Amino acid sequence: MQAKYALMSWFTFTWQNFLFSFLALAFEGLPFVLVGSLISGAIAAFVPSKIITGILPKNGLLATLASGLLGLCFPVCECGIVPVVRRLINKGLPVSCGVTFMLASPIVNPIVAFSTFAAFRGQAPWLNMWTRLVLGYFVAVVAGLTVRQFKPESILRKGAVKIPARKRLAFSISPLPDAAMNGFEATFPEKLIAAVRMACDDFIDTAIYFMIGAAVAATFNTAVDQQIILPLALEPTLSTVSMMAIALVLTLCSTSDAFIAATFVSFPIFARMAFMVFGPMFDLKLFFLYSVLFKKRFVIGLGIGLFVLIGLICSRLLIYLYAGQAL
Amino acid sequence: MRAKLFNLVNGITLIGVGAVLLDFFFTGRLDQYLHPQFRPWTLVAGVIFCVVGIVYAAAKTNARCCIDGEECVHQNANSPVRAVVAFFVLFVPLAAGVALSKDSYDQHAVLNRGFVQDITKLASRSGSPARTQNDQVIPPEALGADMDERASEPLPQDTPSSQPGPDAAANGATGQANPAVPSPDDGSSQYLPKAADGNVALEVTDLLYAESEDSLRKMFADKTIEVIGQYLPGSDAKQFKLVRMFIVCCAADARPLAVPVEVSGPMTVTEMGWVKVVGKATFTQKGDRSHVVLQADKVESTDPPAEAMLY
Repeated sequence: MQAKYALMSWFTFTWQNFLFSFLALAFEGLPFVLVGSLISGAIAAFVPSKIITGILPKNGLLATLASGLLGLCFPVCECGIVPVVRRLINKGLPVSCGVTFMLASPIVNPIVAFSTFAAFRGQAPWLNMWTRLVLGYFVAVVAGLTVRQFKPESILRKGAVKIPARKRLAFSISPLPDAAMNGFEATFPEKLIAAVRMACDDFIDTAIYFMIGAAVAATFNTAVDQQIILPLALEPTLSTVSMMAIALVLTLCSTSDAFIAATFVSFPIFARMAFMVFGPMFDLKLFFLYSVLFKKRFVIGLGIGLFVLIGLICSRLLIYLYAGQAL
Repeated sequence: MRAKLFNLVNGITLIGVGAVLLDFFFTGRLDQYLHPQFRPWTLVAGVIFCVVGIVYAAAKTNARCCIDGEECVHQNANSPVRAVVAFFVLFVPLAAGVALSKDSYDQHAVLNRGFVQDITKLASRSGSPARTQNDQVIPPEALGADMDERASEPLPQDTPSSQPGPDAAANGATGQANPAVPSPDDGSSQYLPKAADGNVALEVTDLLYAESEDSLRKMFADKTIEVIGQYLPGSDAKQFKLVRMFIVCCAADARPLAVPVEVSGPMTVTEMGWVKVVGKATFTQKGDRSHVVLQADKVESTDPPAEAMLY
C-alpha cells in the first residue's frame, strides 16, 4: 500500500490514491449501470419488438428522425444495442433507422439524461444534459441519413442479416413475427426471472468495461501530474481531440461516463462534451461489436466520420454555447 | 454441470459486489467517497445486487435467454472465461478495496491535481455551501463541520457571514492601511460559529472565499480562528499548507483547496495528517485580489472531521 512508483516526474502512482479514486468511481457509477441493465432486461423480456417497429413512421426520412428518439422509450446502452439492431434489421427495419437507433439510443435516453444531470450538478447540469441529448440525436440522424445513400449490402457484413431483396432499399417497417421479441411463451414469474437473468448478463458485460475504464481514469486522475496535460486542455481543437481519444480508449458505458467526464476538470466543457457524445457512439469495444453487424470498412469509416463531425461541432460551435459559463 | 457452476460464479460475483457496497455504506466509510446525495443509491444498489445475484445463481441454466434463441444477446453468458473475468474484474478489486483502501488521498494525488486558485470558479452542487461571485449570502449550513454545535449559533440567511471567513485578528491595526483588510465589522460577527474553546470555527473554504469577499474579511477581522485540515509541508519549516478536498460528486473529482499557514518553528506532523490550527488570518493585496495567510499561534494533531470532504 505504501509503494510508490515514480516512473517519471509527471507520473507518481500509489495504491492508496488509485484505490480511493477507483472505488469512488465504482460506488458512484455501478448503481447507474445496474439501473440501465434492469431496464434493458425488462424491455427484452416484456416488450415485443413489434412495438418498437410499429411506432415508426412509414416515410423513410421521418422514420430515421423518429429512430433517434426510440431510446427515450426503450433505453438500451451501447453494449446491448448491437444485437437488438441486428435483429430489427433482420426483420425489415431500414438500415438507416437501425444505425440512427444504434448511435442515438445510448445517449438519447432518460437514464443517460439523469446520470448526466447528476454528474454535472453544480456545473450547469440542465445545459450539459440537453446539449448532450440534442447533439447525440443530431449526430445520429446525420449518420443515419448518410447511410441511406448506401446500399445495405455494401454496409452489412455478409451473412450478418437476412433481408429480402425487395426490402433492402425500402423504408416500410415489417412487423416481427409473433413472440419474436418476447422470445418465448412463458408465465409472468418465468419472464420475470428471465428479465433478471438478462439484466445480470447485461450488467456483467457492461460493468467489466466500466471497471476497466474506471481503473484507467483513476490512474490518470491521481498519478499523472495535471500540469503535464494542461497544454492539451488549453487549445480548443487539441483538447477536443484529446478527450475523444480518451473516450475511444476508456470504452465507458454511457450510463456512467458523465461521472468520469466530470472529473476531467482541466479540460474545457466542450471537450468533455465531445467525450460524452463520441464515446457512446464509438470506442474500442464498439469497434468489435459493430463488426459483428457491419463490414470492417464501414465501421472504420463510421468511426472516422463521427470523430470528425463531433470534433468540429464541439470545438467550433459549442465553444460559443458555453462562452461565459465558467466551466 | 459446467454451465451451472459458472452460473454460480456469476451469482457470487453479483452478491459480492452488493456485499461490498453494503459494507461501505453501513460502516460509514462510504461517507469519504461520495457526496451525500449519492449514498442512498449505493445502499439500494447493494440490496438489489444481492437479490438478483441469488436469483441468477439459483435460476435454471437452461432457461431460454433474450429474444430468439438463435440470436441471444448474451451468447457468452455461460462462458467460463467470462465468469472468471467478471469475478476478477468486478468483485476482486472491490473486495481488495475493503481491506486495503485508506479512504483518503496522500500528498502525491494532491500535488498532481494542483490547488484551486480561485474558489469562486469552483463547480459546486446546487444548495451547497459554495457560492458564486454574485451571491451575497453564504448559507449557515456552510459553516465548518468541525465547529462545536452547542457553542455556535446559526447564522441568519440574510447576513453576509454564514460562511466562515478570515478573521485576521493580527491585522486589526494594519487593516486600515492594507486595502485587503477592512475595518472591523458591525457586530454581525456574533453569528459566527464558535468552537468549544470560544474561537471562531472556520473552514478552509471560508478563508478562501474571503479572499474575494470584502464583507467576510471585515467579519473575520480581529478574531482568533480555528481551522481543521490536512498538513502538507511547505518549502521551509516555518510554513505549510492546510489542505481540504472539495468534491462535487465523488472523491474521484476531488479538488484540493489550501490555505498557507505560517508557524514560528518546526513541527512534527505526518504528511496529510489532520491538524487543528488556531491563529489569525492576514490578507495581503496582490493585483486586484487579496490572498490569505494563516498566522498560527498553535498547531496540534486532531481527529479527522466526520465529513473529510467539503461539498
